[in-house]
Amino acid sequence: MSALPSYAFGTARFRASDLIRGILVLPRNAVLAFLVVYRAVISPLYGDVCRYYPSCSAYAVGAVQQHGAVWGTILSAWRILRCNPWSKGGVDDVRPHAHFHYELTPHGFVVPARKD
Amino acid sequence: MGLDLLLASTPSPAAGNGGGFDLFSILLWPFKWIVETILVAWHWLFTAFGMAPNAGLTWVLSIVGLVIVIRAAVFPLFVKQIKSQRKMMEIAPQLKKVQEKYKGKRDQLSREAMSRETMALYKKHGTTPVSSCLPMLVQMPFLLGMFYTLRDVGDHAKHGIGGVGLLHADLTKQFYDATLFGVAPLHIDLRTALETKPAGWEATVTILVVLVVLMIVSQFYTQLQIISKNLSPEAKTGQAYQMQKIMLYVLPLGFIFSGVFFPLGVVLYWFVSNLWTMGQQFLVIREMPTPGSDAARAREERLARRGKALNAEGKIVPIAVYEAEQQRLLEEAERAKEQAPKREQPMSKKRAKKKGSN
Repeated sequence: MSALPSYAFGTARFRASDLIRGILVLPRNAVLAFLVVYRAVISPLYGDVCRYYPSCSAYAVGAVQQHGAVWGTILSAWRILRCNPWSKGGVDDVRPHAHFHYELTPHGFVVPARKD
Repeated sequence: MGLDLLLASTPSPAAGNGGGFDLFSILLWPFKWIVETILVAWHWLFTAFGMAPNAGLTWVLSIVGLVIVIRAAVFPLFVKQIKSQRKMMEIAPQLKKVQEKYKGKRDQLSREAMSRETMALYKKHGTTPVSSCLPMLVQMPFLLGMFYTLRDVGDHAKHGIGGVGLLHADLTKQFYDATLFGVAPLHIDLRTALETKPAGWEATVTILVVLVVLMIVSQFYTQLQIISKNLSPEAKTGQAYQMQKIMLYVLPLGFIFSGVFFPLGVVLYWFVSNLWTMGQQFLVIREMPTPGSDAARAREERLARRGKALNAEGKIVPIAVYEAEQQRLLEEAERAKEQAPKREQPMSKKRAKKKGSN
């Protein structure tokens, strides 16, 4: 399992007062939860297979964080299609969202940004 | 391959509860269709040669044919990766430099920087030690499609319906009636055989147990060969290696439990598939081992006994040619060393001035 790039995690925490605002990021956090489990349990079994940095699963984490469950999944699927035996590989980062107004937890989950 | 099998087997209880049109079956539909087409095509071929359409052997051979088609389809990718590994030898020194640079640094930022530099290096030289993600993930739905196609035959035959494609109701019925060695139906699994005790169930259970054991042993043996012989020293240090070593023993355990629910046809498919993997792996370990691994050393020893050696390009040449090449390389290195400018001892300005005045 390749390491998550530094832009894919932060120091924010989820606060109970953000419960309502947190609904907006629920879909992407659901996908992220799946990715966290996948990266912890299934990724290591395959060993290193990805031709890129960040690896496809780490890219998916970044893409879903930045662009949400739907567009993030589409970007990740496109990345997996690009990670084929004919690709050159190399460094390929997620294009950050132009107006990303959330914060990231140490495990890469997305929480609403602090107002203050 | 081993992982795919276990993953294919894990969702089976949840998905086994019916023919509803859930998202899972919709996604799996095209793969089941392809699997059915291949299976029926082989069946058609064998019956065209005069074999009985509902005989066990005809369907067993069709399953073997299915394995061959699917494994042969991914074979070119496999060869491509082996060839790419050869090229890795050329960039080994540069790779080592990057590894030295980050030696002993375990923090996330260093690991990230090291990964980035390594990947950039691979890209620059157009080679990579890894296979890429797509083939890994593509094999999975095919395996699931195969698993559900073979498993659904039982349900479909009872309801008098066919599969999703060419495996129509009549063929499904024939598959359902087919028996291995005239006793063991291809659709039966170990649990059902023990619960319902159909005629000749003792023989059926024996055949199933033997096949499940063969499946597990072939799986274990192949993994063991890779881990014990064909890994480079670098690959044996990582976290992934520890995980592979654990999985070597966990996977067979998983199969002992899930093997009880696999229909005979599925067990047969996996056993034949494992045999293919074993053969492929045997060839690789013998003729195209990972550079630096135990298998590579064993191959060099074998070549030396036959008076041959591997030259700088990895080709087999007679030992005399090899020695001449080594001599030439040595001379070239020495000449390069001589021609390289000698390092001069740095001199302080003061001393330089003094020397100049003398």
